Amino acid sequence: MDAVKDISFSVDEGEMVALLGPNGAGKTTIIKCILGLVRPDSGEIMVDGVDCRRCRSPALRRMAAVLEGARNTYWRLTTWENISYFAGIHGISERRGKEYFEYLIDLLKLRKERDIEVRNLSSGFKQRVAVACALAKKTPLVFLDEPTLGLDVESSYELRQALKKLRAEERRTIIISSHDMHAVQDTCQRAIIVSHGQIVADQTIPDLLSLFATRKYRITVTGGSGREVGLSGIQEAVALAFSQVSFRQVGEALEFTVSLANPGDIYLLVDVLRDREAVVDAITREEVDLEKAFLEIVGRTSSTCGA
Amino acid sequence: MWGIALKATWKQNFHMMGRYLFNTLSSFVTMYIVFALLFYGTKSIGAATLNLGDTLEGVFTGYVTWMLAIMGCTDLAYTITNEAQSGTLEQLCLSPLGYWQILLFNQSFHLLTNVLVIGLITVSMSLTTGLVIHLDFVSVVPVVLALYLQSLGLGLVLAGLALIYKRIQAFFQVVQFALIGIFFIPLDAFPGARYLPLAEGRKVLQQVLVGGIRIWQARWTDLGPMFGATALYISVGVACFTMAENRARSRGLLGQY
Repeated sequence: MDAVKDISFSVDEGEMVALLGPNGAGKTTIIKCILGLVRPDSGEIMVDGVDCRRCRSPALRRMAAVLEGARNTYWRLTTWENISYFAGIHGISERRGKEYFEYLIDLLKLRKERDIEVRNLSSGFKQRVAVACALAKKTPLVFLDEPTLGLDVESSYELRQALKKLRAEERRTIIISSHDMHAVQDTCQRAIIVSHGQIVADQTIPDLLSLFATRKYRITVTGGSGREVGLSGIQEAVALAFSQVSFRQVGEALEFTVSLANPGDIYLLVDVLRDREAVVDAITREEVDLEKAFLEIVGRTSSTCGA
Repeated sequence: MWGIALKATWKQNFHMMGRYLFNTLSSFVTMYIVFALLFYGTKSIGAATLNLGDTLEGVFTGYVTWMLAIMGCTDLAYTITNEAQSGTLEQLCLSPLGYWQILLFNQSFHLLTNVLVIGLITVSMSLTTGLVIHLDFVSVVPVVLALYLQSLGLGLVLAGLALIYKRIQAFFQVVQFALIGIFFIPLDAFPGARYLPLAEGRKVLQQVLVGGIRIWQARWTDLGPMFGATALYISVGVACFTMAENRARSRGLLGQY
């Protein structure tokens, strides 16, 4: 059985790309193949012009990664000692990297935790220490496997802000593998979706969202005179005019979601509501988020593979 | 880059020694007790297996050699098992130097601290008991170092197995018994056994300690196979470790425990 097969993609310098996919899709395998921790049977992996399979050492000088989050650090060492050690075995001395390490400590809001053993930190801070250790190597390419896993809202936000700042200031290429669609949508410009070991989508986040953008509206109405009769009448009329519609009674109001096939259908909808003397309380257009787009793509792939 | 990585590794090990202070002190106390027994005349500790005579010098050198041989053999694999267990193994494999070099840097720290502690204990023992070890260091050190490097070669093979199988502690005991067996082999009766790890080195050490010869007085037919075996076992160790690492990467085993 192949964990991944026929995978091909390229990432530009300074891009922040998300690698998405359900559990077991092959995201981590792809990352580990690039890092040389898993050897692919065939194919070519180039990083910054270096063949990763043939020239492992030069390739590793260009890459760093957080693979198992907080477990990637020594819990008995302090934040600073961890950063210094992992940078050291990458060829960056403490003396040369000191200023940058301090910058990372501030960027990731680890100042108070600088000289505390990692085992005494919360999981959010442990995660940040792991990220700091990877970033301290100053490599042009960084992989972050599930960087926000298990983080609370505040920690996740701060980490995302730090990554965005880093990309803007240093033009580092960052590849994030995550299930946290909110974090991905917030930080990444592009998403590569993997399912069953193959790439099923590779597009910018706005393009991906527009693919699944629909003219779906959620409308809340109350009847005119004789409300019970009015609401049922409205429901009947709307159901007659539109095929893709679902209704829900909310207190004394009727809420329905309708998908419009054409842009002009909104006028038809307004006409139907006016004819029934409906009072429109609220009308909102449903936004497609990355999670929905992801589920749609993966769902399609699964059904194709299942068939 | 080597210098930076070596310094970083030593520093990390030093910090770890401090953080696991109880364990560190316990190992030093154990060493102290063993050397105290050596100085107070118990000559059956480990050294007897090496058959290096019953002088204090012989017993002392025998024990140190045996201790370093076992350390060289098992330490690397223990390190790998611990790193895999704690989740840092893959990070170390991402060093551009290659993981085996990081392992050897670790090992060099362990060797240095052990030699330092042995030295300190020996000096303090000499001061308290009035017994002085008269060793021909110029002759003994190269031989002990050669024996250590041979065991390190075996250690790299075991470390390679640990990369793939992770838990191989039970196998260590088999290796220790095998080493004892090798020490007992009479090389005159089985000349082919001189190419086994540690065998020829033990013979040269015996000549130095019991026979009282200087290293340059030893026959080249003894020194040659000893240094040859050292080069051979280190090369075989590195080759086996590299092969095991490649195999572990092919199977995606580095991140597993």
